[in-house]
Amino acid sequence: MKLKEFLLRLGLAASLAVSGASHAYLYVHGYQHIPTIGTAFLIQASVAFALAVLILAGGPWWLEWAAAATAGGSLVAFVLSRTVGLFGFTERGWDPSPHAAITVIAEVLCVLLWAGALFGSRRAQVSKIIVPEPLGVYER
Amino acid sequence: MTQDPHTMNRRQLIRHTAWFGAAVGLAVAGGEVISHVAGSASAEHAQSRPTLRFAQVSDSHIGFTGGANPDVTKTFDHAIDQINNLGYTPDFVIHTGDLTHLSSPDQFDQVKQMLSGLRTPHVFTVPGEHDSVDDAGQKYRSAFGAGTRGDGWYSFDIAGVHVIALVNTLNLKKLGHLGIDQLEFVKKDVAGLSSDTPIIVFSHIPLFAMYPDWGWGTDDATQALSQLSRFSSVTCLNGHVHQLFSKTEGNVTFYSGTTTAYPLPHPGDGPAPKPVTLPAGKLGDALGIREVSYTKGQTALALKEQRLL
Repeated sequence: MKLKEFLLRLGLAASLAVSGASHAYLYVHGYQHIPTIGTAFLIQASVAFALAVLILAGGPWWLEWAAAATAGGSLVAFVLSRTVGLFGFTERGWDPSPHAAITVIAEVLCVLLWAGALFGSRRAQVSKIIVPEPLGVYER
Repeated sequence: MTQDPHTMNRRQLIRHTAWFGAAVGLAVAGGEVISHVAGSASAEHAQSRPTLRFAQVSDSHIGFTGGANPDVTKTFDHAIDQINNLGYTPDFVIHTGDLTHLSSPDQFDQVKQMLSGLRTPHVFTVPGEHDSVDDAGQKYRSAFGAGTRGDGWYSFDIAGVHVIALVNTLNLKKLGHLGIDQLEFVKKDVAGLSSDTPIIVFSHIPLFAMYPDWGWGTDDATQALSQLSRFSSVTCLNGHVHQLFSKTEGNVTFYSGTTTAYPLPHPGDGPAPKPVTLPAGKLGDALGIREVSYTKGQTALALKEQRLL
């Protein structure tokens, strides 16, 4: 159980760190100059790094929800930038390569780990529910 | 009295608050570190100032009369004042077309006189379709065509950057369109340049398909851009759409600039791109100028959008 939780935290932290590193790299190498998008990249990278560290340090459950929201939000922004545009910014396909693909893989992994953990813990809770026998049932 | 299992006791609240504080603190610290790294990466290349600084202004539509902007001369004057008060002298100012609204000689005279008030060594222009409504751009070229080639296109080098100004507004049936002569010009123009030369391309109509149904694209732009695919940094700046928009495709970044006259709807928002009348006091938010700087060694240009004050 302990090992499972540790691996989950490690997976979430690693995927967030990869996503954050990718955004930070792109920010430093040019995206800082794109209005609004540059700031969004900086915020994404800093929040992702912060969450990665705290999840690995054993933080509370809501950090995992924040991790999923950060990764999910980035994925939504990625889709918008390839379709209708985001703050007047669009990109095509998997540009910039390879960062776009690496980031998407990391963020999908993060969301899947969170969903898996959530589903697993709900199932565990259900199996733990003990239905008490009515008083006196064994005396009959 | 029993306690609700979902409520939080004081100790738990303090613990969660501490974790939240740590998250905010770490995020701020991380942001500072990344900004610092980005700042020092820029500073490594910048000695005292950027290699090249210029301003872009667009779609002044001098001569327009309508509710969307009752005084386009006044707003264009504000734009010129704003450029003159940037705190430095831009290396040049580019007007990316639709200088006039109806290409009349007095409108060209007026806009030329206004542009002469810019405090900069050079003012460059490209024509918009409003500058060539009845004569395929002849009056435009009489006023602004000195030193250009073909139907008004040209290129020049400044501070190690190669700048190409294209005309894609002369064929009113195929907005925008460059044509064979101009494509040949681009091919020959860049043939002798090394691939690490930064390229800036000006045009009125976007060189990417922003919304072709409204004439917001250039049908043969891909042929021109294919000549630029070997360059590491290509930046295309345009007007025409009266709103900010940016897009990257491989090595090329496109930036649509806003106007000093009146806003147009977002792509596809309504049946046609007609002037939008904003509520009182909101017009200045939609109008603006753009500062652009290039620092040697960097692949991306730095853009700063300023709304009209």
